[in-house]
Amino acid sequence: MFLTLQANDKRPLYQQITNGIKALIAGGNLREGVALPSVRQVAGDLGVNLNTVAAAYRQLQDEGFVTVRHGAGAVIASRTSRPVDGAELYQPLRTALTQLVLSGLSGREIEETVRQELALLQQKGDAR
Amino acid sequence: MSAPTQFELMVFSTALIVLASVYVLVKYLWKWPLQNGPGFFFGVEVPAGFYEGPGRAWLKGYHATLVALHLVLAVALAVIVAFKRWDLTPVWAVGTALLYVPTTMGFAAWTRHKLGRNPPVRPIAVALETRRLGDYISWPMEVLMVVVIALCWWLELHLASHKEWLNMLTTTWLALGLLPGKILLVRSSDPLPVDRTEEHYRYQDAMRRNSVRMWNSIAWFFVIVLVGIALRDTWTPARTVPGLRWLFLSVPLVVWVYLMVQIFRGKRLATTLGRDLLPSGSWSTPFRRAPWIGVSGTYGLWGNRHYQIWFVFWFGGILAMVLYSQFR
Repeated sequence: MFLTLQANDKRPLYQQITNGIKALIAGGNLREGVALPSVRQVAGDLGVNLNTVAAAYRQLQDEGFVTVRHGAGAVIASRTSRPVDGAELYQPLRTALTQLVLSGLSGREIEETVRQELALLQQKGDAR
Repeated sequence: MSAPTQFELMVFSTALIVLASVYVLVKYLWKWPLQNGPGFFFGVEVPAGFYEGPGRAWLKGYHATLVALHLVLAVALAVIVAFKRWDLTPVWAVGTALLYVPTTMGFAAWTRHKLGRNPPVRPIAVALETRRLGDYISWPMEVLMVVVIALCWWLELHLASHKEWLNMLTTTWLALGLLPGKILLVRSSDPLPVDRTEEHYRYQDAMRRNSVRMWNSIAWFFVIVLVGIALRDTWTPARTVPGLRWLFLSVPLVVWVYLMVQIFRGKRLATTLGRDLLPSGSWSTPFRRAPWIGVSGTYGLWGNRHYQIWFVFWFGGILAMVLYSQFR
């Protein structure tokens, strides 16, 4: 299982890691109970500071995507155990849709883009 | 059959080392810059037609460096043999490493500096699989090694009439000092490109496992040498019974042959598995520059600062002890 990070991504690195792991969970590539490598290993492999990876793991833990077990490190949590807050869940979607509208795309094009992205996510999950 | 004399032993060991060195030179070192194919020179990406143009001079320079290096070593060895100064063999061995490592690494670094100063930045993939030390290093075997070494020291300190503490110390340093290096080796990795990530990852893992196996055999070789020293100093039959002397000679020899097989196997593996893969030195990630040496089979170890510190400490210790033994 590999987490891919782009060269030209403007988001902070910890955010890229967080979102990348979330995408792998959403695609079914990282299932409940799977242990993530240690912060030290990921930081070493990427060549970044330990605190950057620790911040990403902390955010995943705060959002309920991973649980930290003593001796086992960070483990992917159950997908159903997270409390779902409607406003919190849809806010990023609204932000993304606003960006797409402002970029000049029509409603139909936005629908198509969303459909394609969803299919891609599901495809990644099926390909595991 | 009579036991081998010191002279015969030295000639035999030296002949083995020379044979192995010639094999490595001809089979691997000569073609090392081309290990990743004609699109690369020492892991640095070069344009098409490079070897018809400036690449020819680069290759010639590399071969000339290799020849000069081996000539120096051969002359030094010839002097030792001609004057029967076998006591200088450890100095020659350490001197070989002192010449060899900086020269080849220096050449690779110079290549990077001149040919690949600004390697392209590519997206990076990171494996979400845990690398546990226990998956690579056998802790029971490490404990066994410590116990055997401790027993040898106990024998030497309590039963030996003439204590060879410096030889014992050097051999112990050589064997036990490799453990931190093995830990760093397991923890190190090269950046993984987004294309053919799985193949790059499996390749790195295969190389890592092979390196640990090779270092284990180096460590056990020295442990067996240590056992030989301790028994020779404390057990009279070890010095007088020819059969036992042959045994003490053949066991390290078997380990040495195993070590050589591991090295050659690792080289073959690097050549076969890494042939079409992207050498780590040929590209930078968004977060770190390309390692200054990145030919297949090195996987960023030499770019790892902790590894450099360990190597200087470990090798510096050996050098200090060998020099002290010669000039005290």
